[in-house]
Amino acid sequence: MELVQNLISGVAVGCIYALAALGFVLIYKSSRVINFANGQLIAIGAFLAYALAVWVGLPVLLAMLLAMLLTAGLGFLVERIFLRRLVGQPIISVIMVTIGLASVLDGLMYLTPFGSGNFTFPQFLPPGGLNLGGLSVSYPQLLAIGFTAVFLLIFGWFFQRSVLGIAMRAVADDQMASMSLGVSVEKVFALAWAVAGLAAAAAGIVVGAVSGLNQDGLIAIGLAVFPAVILGGLDSVPGAVVGGIVIGILQSFSTAYLDGLLAQIGLVGGGSQYAVPFLVLLIMLWFKPHGLFGTEEIERV
Amino acid sequence: MRNPWAQTGNYRTSYAQDTTIFANYREIVSIGLLLIGLCLLPTFLERSQVLVLNFILIYAIAVLGLNITTGYAGLISVGQAAFMGVGAYTVALTAPHLPFWLTIPLGGLTAALVGFLVGIPSLRVKHLYLALATLAFQEIFVWVVGRSPALAQGAAIPVEMRNFLGLEITFRNHNYFWYYVILLTLVVLVIAWRNLLRGKYGRALIAVRDNDRAADAMGMNPGRTKLFAFALGALYGGVAGGLLAYMQRAVVVEEFTLVRSVALLAMAIVGGLGTVVGSLLGPAFIELLRLYVERLSEWMKGNALIQSITPAGVDVASALLPLSFGLVIVLFLMFEPRGLYNWWRLIRSYFRTWPFKY
Repeated sequence: MELVQNLISGVAVGCIYALAALGFVLIYKSSRVINFANGQLIAIGAFLAYALAVWVGLPVLLAMLLAMLLTAGLGFLVERIFLRRLVGQPIISVIMVTIGLASVLDGLMYLTPFGSGNFTFPQFLPPGGLNLGGLSVSYPQLLAIGFTAVFLLIFGWFFQRSVLGIAMRAVADDQMASMSLGVSVEKVFALAWAVAGLAAAAAGIVVGAVSGLNQDGLIAIGLAVFPAVILGGLDSVPGAVVGGIVIGILQSFSTAYLDGLLAQIGLVGGGSQYAVPFLVLLIMLWFKPHGLFGTEEIERV
Repeated sequence: MRNPWAQTGNYRTSYAQDTTIFANYREIVSIGLLLIGLCLLPTFLERSQVLVLNFILIYAIAVLGLNITTGYAGLISVGQAAFMGVGAYTVALTAPHLPFWLTIPLGGLTAALVGFLVGIPSLRVKHLYLALATLAFQEIFVWVVGRSPALAQGAAIPVEMRNFLGLEITFRNHNYFWYYVILLTLVVLVIAWRNLLRGKYGRALIAVRDNDRAADAMGMNPGRTKLFAFALGALYGGVAGGLLAYMQRAVVVEEFTLVRSVALLAMAIVGGLGTVVGSLLGPAFIELLRLYVERLSEWMKGNALIQSITPAGVDVASALLPLSFGLVIVLFLMFEPRGLYNWWRLIRSYFRTWPFKY
């Protein structure tokens, strides 16, 4: 029973990672850019939702929606102002710009009260949770799982059916060919960043609802996305979801079982949930670098 | 080349000239003057200023290593601070038993070994993935140190060295002594850097960075070349970390976090990737920036007017550092991707051709 309980909480956390990983994978798929500022987008989305709900006084759900749209706008602006100018530069410079941006956004957050201190969303879910034959699932956990499911359905529809989504897939597949068929690659890049901002904000909001808002914690989630996407395959959307959930479960299990074992071999203090995902990342890179669902790069000369 | 002193450019006319380290006599003279200047510099400075200089030179060593991995091999490393940490902790653990001229190379070698392990994915995947491997290593390193009682769980481990060949190292001459040790190490490592990278191996690295398939077809092994570059970069980091441990007389894990790795990357970018001059200018720029930003935030803390206009709960001081670092990285990449090295090159070429422009 305890095992299943840990599994459930792992899945709930994993859903958050899946949401955050989604935006990351979108950017990587369309433009081959590894976005190191993802954690900052998550944090900004969550703080915006808090600010709109508590300081402005909007209804919580409206505030969340608005925060997601605003973060999408931020992602769009980042692409428009910084990354658009770097088209044609080596991809290393583009990635390093995202590292720099992460630092800038960090600094900007320190300029607000969110930089130091913890915040909790106003209670909008009933306390407690569902009781399923001895297993309890709290409402925030249900929210995380439900939110992710809804998001995935919307994204699935978007990519399978809508013209923009199909254009994005086309650009991801072959930039040159899609450009010659009249797809605006620039628009697709901008859209990828906007959607990434949206997904990041969604993840941040769910984290806020589950465990409260804290800048370091939110940015750590942005870092935990890397193991998830490597596990699933950097360019695979289903892989991001599976990878996120697996990493969530692993974290939950390592808190429950591994911490005690580690203490016996002399690593005191626990917190193995922070190290295990990165160990998984290293092992994956050693043995199966393209992940579970990623496409292996085949190079033709 | 009738008169080498009136030379306006590098006109290499024979193979023997092509293999020289210094293109002309002016370079030899100017480097000699620079070295003499660096040797005399501490006599004009106070102890605290020498400390800043020490930090700059130590980071210059680490950035030199980063310039092998990122500048030459094109592999982004966000784990250079962790490699410094490996060197520093090796020194901290061996310093009670061995002299410093053994522990510091040992720290470098340990870091190189760890770098080799972390870099193994480069045998199979392209460079972008390796950035994530270094990120993973950076996080795991900080975690393991923070959890190991043998490493004081990240709290300060003292590194003591009281005398060297009869010279007693006290509080007063500590910074000065280590300044010369660091300077000597830096010179040796710069010479090694230059010689390694202008030879067969360095050219192989450039070939692999620019087009690994073509390099493969020419008979180089891209994976192995990159892996070696990675281990080498880590070695430089380890040596820098070891020096840092002695210089600070203690090892603390806060010195080797992701933030520091990003700062090292910023130094490499600001200086100009893949250049020796950049490896010196970058750390100097960033460290001085940090010094002045810290002074500014101290001043802001003491200023009543600024205190009164900042809302409660806002810590402007801690915001300034990441903000300025990030802005420096972004702005340099966007507007001067070749870094300060490019400015230096323009100034130098202006004076070399003075009064005529070619």
